[in-house]
Amino acid sequence: MTAGPNKLLLRMTVVSAVLLLSLVVALVMGLSLGSTHQGFDAIINTLMGQSPSDPMLQAIIWQIRFPRVLLAALVGAALSAGGLVFQALLRNPLAEPYILGISGGAAIGGIIGIILGFSRFPGVTLMAFAGSMCTLMLVMIISSGQSILKKDALLLSGVMINAFCSAVIMFLISMTQDARLHNIIFWLMGDMSMTDLRQVGILSAILIPGFILFFCLSHAMNLLLMGREMAMSMGLQLKTITLTLLVATSFMVSATVSYCGLIGFVGLVIPHLLRMVLGPDHRILVPACILGGGAYMVLCDLLARTLSQQGEMPAGVITALIGAPLFIVLLKRSNR
Amino acid sequence: MKKLPCFPRELSPEVASNKKFTIMSIIKSMLRYSVALMLAGVVLLTGDVAARQVTDGIGRQILVPDNPVRVVALAPSITEIVFALGQEQRLVGISQFSDFPQEAQRLPQVGSFIRPDIEKIIALNPDICIAIKDGNPREVAVQLESLHIPVYAVDPLDLESIMTMVLQIGDLLNVGDRAQTIVTGMKLRIDRVREQVTRTKQRPGVFFQISVSPIVSVGKGTFIDDLIQMAGGTNLCAGYSSYPRLSREQVVVLSPDVLIVSTMHQDVSIDQIKAEWAGWSQIPAVRDGRIAIVDSNIFNRPTPRQVDALQQLVRVIHPELFKDSP
Repeated sequence: MTAGPNKLLLRMTVVSAVLLLSLVVALVMGLSLGSTHQGFDAIINTLMGQSPSDPMLQAIIWQIRFPRVLLAALVGAALSAGGLVFQALLRNPLAEPYILGISGGAAIGGIIGIILGFSRFPGVTLMAFAGSMCTLMLVMIISSGQSILKKDALLLSGVMINAFCSAVIMFLISMTQDARLHNIIFWLMGDMSMTDLRQVGILSAILIPGFILFFCLSHAMNLLLMGREMAMSMGLQLKTITLTLLVATSFMVSATVSYCGLIGFVGLVIPHLLRMVLGPDHRILVPACILGGGAYMVLCDLLARTLSQQGEMPAGVITALIGAPLFIVLLKRSNR
Repeated sequence: MKKLPCFPRELSPEVASNKKFTIMSIIKSMLRYSVALMLAGVVLLTGDVAARQVTDGIGRQILVPDNPVRVVALAPSITEIVFALGQEQRLVGISQFSDFPQEAQRLPQVGSFIRPDIEKIIALNPDICIAIKDGNPREVAVQLESLHIPVYAVDPLDLESIMTMVLQIGDLLNVGDRAQTIVTGMKLRIDRVREQVTRTKQRPGVFFQISVSPIVSVGKGTFIDDLIQMAGGTNLCAGYSSYPRLSREQVVVLSPDVLIVSTMHQDVSIDQIKAEWAGWSQIPAVRDGRIAIVDSNIFNRPTPRQVDALQQLVRVIHPELFKDSP
């Protein structure tokens, strides 16, 4: 924060440009590869709109892969930005919607919505939001009033709520006996296979205002990280800002959960990696997490689509397989 | 293919200007091209194949080609039926696990019954997909139709509707006669079983196990429930939901006369199953050794082979009827 405004702006632009480039590369890779193998130059031609190549390839690229990579980018952006915001608000580097049980609560709400036969939007999304708000409140209540143990109490209550949520989810699944069951199980592990441009449109209408809000409040997050007293003395509307950010993040996480299920560790890995490289300034971290998280998720989804010849796997499997070990390594290194 | 109108230059000044390669302009032009190409795709995919309006198996009015030549079967049962109709030359893609008949395994697979791979389906450029209402996800049908690939859905619930389904697919593939022959054969064999069953008043209690661990049986509204009744047995789980999980305790209380285990694994032997139940001699089926293993594929799949399953079932439930003839 010692840097002048111009220097900050320059850094922001450079970082954003680099990460935007990686996002574009990821998107192009996501469009080029899939369960069917098409010639790479044919795909590049189609992407560039050059030759009027065959309609089958165009349908695959624009109607199957295009909505999907956009969805992955949006979800990755929302999850990693959400993780960043949680880490700042709760001043806890291990905070993440998935780990705190917020995603789990959203999943319970979402499953109830699916069982009740609601449509994806707004029914299931709102149920997921209700679920995530309930768990968020629970986490806050359990962990409040223990100022010394605060950091651990927060994580422990998150772990407990998560365990409870998985139990409720299994309970609900055991109680339902129908064909939707298979879909629920896949959805729980993070499923992006069923999407079209309309859904992507709805999701971006929910998420993009949230991104803008994060960006506008990024300086406030910097101040929050310096401690509550400090932030208050600098004239920050502490309660309002905290509440706004918590509700907005929960809503965004609920929206992603209702569209593609539980995808964990994105909100831990990306903010941590970027913080290690870029430092603690949220004015740079917020756009970086949005772009970098998007790129990461597109690549994870690409792996999920192409790794197995037996049909694709849920994207949440990949993010957890990469995310959990990477996070342990990061943790070890930062402790040293 | 119709030529698409070009986009007027005036609408895209940023493309015309020398800032041609800004990222925004590339993204914008990509989006613009994508719309144009989607339209082109629609024109080509629908093509000028002659089409007719039909009502599919779940009552939807759909437009199908007069003579479908590139068919994708979205369930193993559909694959079997298309083969049974002798129309396998039309199949360009089949559902994963379509293992009957053997020749089917050479065809390209398009993902599983529950999770079809849309990209693979489109890559095969089919002129129709045949789907099953319960099982194939609705979203897949919607998405395929939005890509102008007609989806003909069938809805088999019991032997009766399996025969309807054979006739429907026969009509769709212009082999109505062949379908009629198959159905007539099925009816004859079913009638013979019905006649056999009337010769006995006994209706032994059957416990049909579709999974060994956990114990899962079949309740009302399933193919197997229907078959057990037709084969002159009483499905002890008829009062349960379609696929109930039971404890050993419950099975002991139900005290089945016949215990049938269906499995798709060839390596599960009757001895293993018998050993599994050996300690429960209170159960009449265990005491009398009336435990049988059947092939789950012919019991679970809605195909003409369910009549084989029915005949097999009668022999297991009423062996006394077959004492004289081997």
